[in-house]
Amino acid sequence: MRTALIALLVLVAGASQAGTGRVFVSNEHDDTVSVIDASSNEVIKTVPVGKRPRGVGVAPDGSEVYVAVSGDNAIAVLDPQSLEVVRTFESGDDPEAFDVHPNGNIYISNEEDAKASVYNPKTGEKIAEIEVGIEPEGVAVSPDGSRVIVTSESTNMLHIIAVPEHTIVANILVGARPRAATFSADGKIAYATSEISGEVKKVDVETGTILGRMPLADDKAKPKDVLLSRDGKRLFVAGGRANSIFVLDSDSLEVLETIGVGKRVWGLALSRDGKRLYTTDGVDHQVSVIDTQKNDVVATVPVGKFPWGVAIDD
Amino acid sequence: MSILTARCPASHCALLVIALLVAPCVTAGAAAADARTVRVAFVGEDDGDALRGVRQGLDEANAQGRFLGWQYELVTVNDAAGAHAAAPAVVVAAVPADALRTLAAALPDTAVLNVGNDDDSVRMQCIPNLLHTLPSAAMRADAEAQWREAHPDSRATARAWHATFEKYAAAQLNRRYQESQGQPMSDRAWAGWAAVKLVANGIVTANTAAPAQVLGHIRGDIAFDGQKGADMSFRETGQLRQPLLLVESDAIVGEAPVRGVVDSGNLDSLGRATCPR
Repeated sequence: MRTALIALLVLVAGASQAGTGRVFVSNEHDDTVSVIDASSNEVIKTVPVGKRPRGVGVAPDGSEVYVAVSGDNAIAVLDPQSLEVVRTFESGDDPEAFDVHPNGNIYISNEEDAKASVYNPKTGEKIAEIEVGIEPEGVAVSPDGSRVIVTSESTNMLHIIAVPEHTIVANILVGARPRAATFSADGKIAYATSEISGEVKKVDVETGTILGRMPLADDKAKPKDVLLSRDGKRLFVAGGRANSIFVLDSDSLEVLETIGVGKRVWGLALSRDGKRLYTTDGVDHQVSVIDTQKNDVVATVPVGKFPWGVAIDD
Repeated sequence: MSILTARCPASHCALLVIALLVAPCVTAGAAAADARTVRVAFVGEDDGDALRGVRQGLDEANAQGRFLGWQYELVTVNDAAGAHAAAPAVVVAAVPADALRTLAAALPDTAVLNVGNDDDSVRMQCIPNLLHTLPSAAMRADAEAQWREAHPDSRATARAWHATFEKYAAAQLNRRYQESQGQPMSDRAWAGWAAVKLVANGIVTANTAAPAQVLGHIRGDIAFDGQKGADMSFRETGQLRQPLLLVESDAIVGEAPVRGVVDSGNLDSLGRATCPR
């Protein structure tokens, strides 16, 4: 019954979201977004968006692409069809990472202010502001939208925020400089990377219990983004200065594969069918495209300077 | 003995000063109702960079603690007797080497964190409860030697910190220090900040502020984030292993360990890493 329901939901979601098949990459040092056609792996347009673009996300209905323009304290809104910036709205101080809620609102970390803020991107209205720890960065919305994680890098915590109350229901200590987190499909488990302690932690979201910890063997590993495969069995971790993607067993956290990519890999995005993983290789100014069945890089796409975030409209 | 508290509403600060009780200085929705109070004792100059760094560390420790039910207060004392009487969780000190030895001896089960003295001989004594967040003179000399090997014409000097440092979220720390303390962050200010910050991380992680347990915890594999890009921990000498900055004409020209001369991850290439045998 449950499987059937999920299958139906997937069908409905798939049917309503025939995306453009375009990959959006923020280039932190040249103030642009590179747009890649996923079928050809070529950049089809480079769009100026404003100073120091970082986080990227797509509206649940695929109608808009959002880019956190950190240096302008704003979110730029792109039309994924026309590839024009259709509007921008003020988003609080120094927006860095964000995630899009199933209801369309976006949850943003404001690094300099020790706050997370919630915006309705259609109106630009700020809906809520939540005080969190120092240097908030990673943001993850649970699949059912009932919880949001914000990581605070200089206070080493995952703040678990209840939606729609916008109150913190738990604060979970993890390793030094937590940068990103992701939820399991049922929302019960979260995985978080810690850059300085070079590890991944697996956390029970409701109890705050640490279920597992995996230090990454490469001592240059400064892990950043983290994502689950569509079947939930594998965890992809961007290894930063290890210049690799680590593929972990999501249950045991055992490292199954290490996939070499470009230098200082931070951003990750997975295609809707789960077959392609896109990585931003900052220092090599490129995006790597990984076949997740073969765990091989099938293309590298030159983009702008220091690509940071990546999102797919598919 | 004067009592100072970091950033909390005036009414609560007053309560603390008068009563020295567990502070109800908790503002966050999810913070524990009964915050446990941790006392940090400081010995050293009243109006110095080390104390400003300690104050910044206290502010940030409280920013973390309010989510986890911990409250930190600062007690400034004049000497070892004062530190002993204060019964603190840890002592932070910016005093000469002899005074460091006296402090460590007076509170043998309590961590004494040296944030102001770079004397190598006191490190080579390997006093179990004496820890040093300020880099030693030998560490700076090694960093400068590595730099000269790579850049023979350069006369850069090695520093623990610099107010223009931006990488590894250093810019964020410099900005909030400048805003709160009203001046640029110096080496000693960084050392003071780091001492309190790593102690606070140890307390919330070990979930105890008992002095001996705090000491034991912070001497372990703490992977401290000093906002210099490396995970830091204490050597057996009690020295915090850390990268250093090379500065020339008040501008950062490089980082040590110097890439190409040694493995840039080899923090123990700076100064002596082990105790005399």
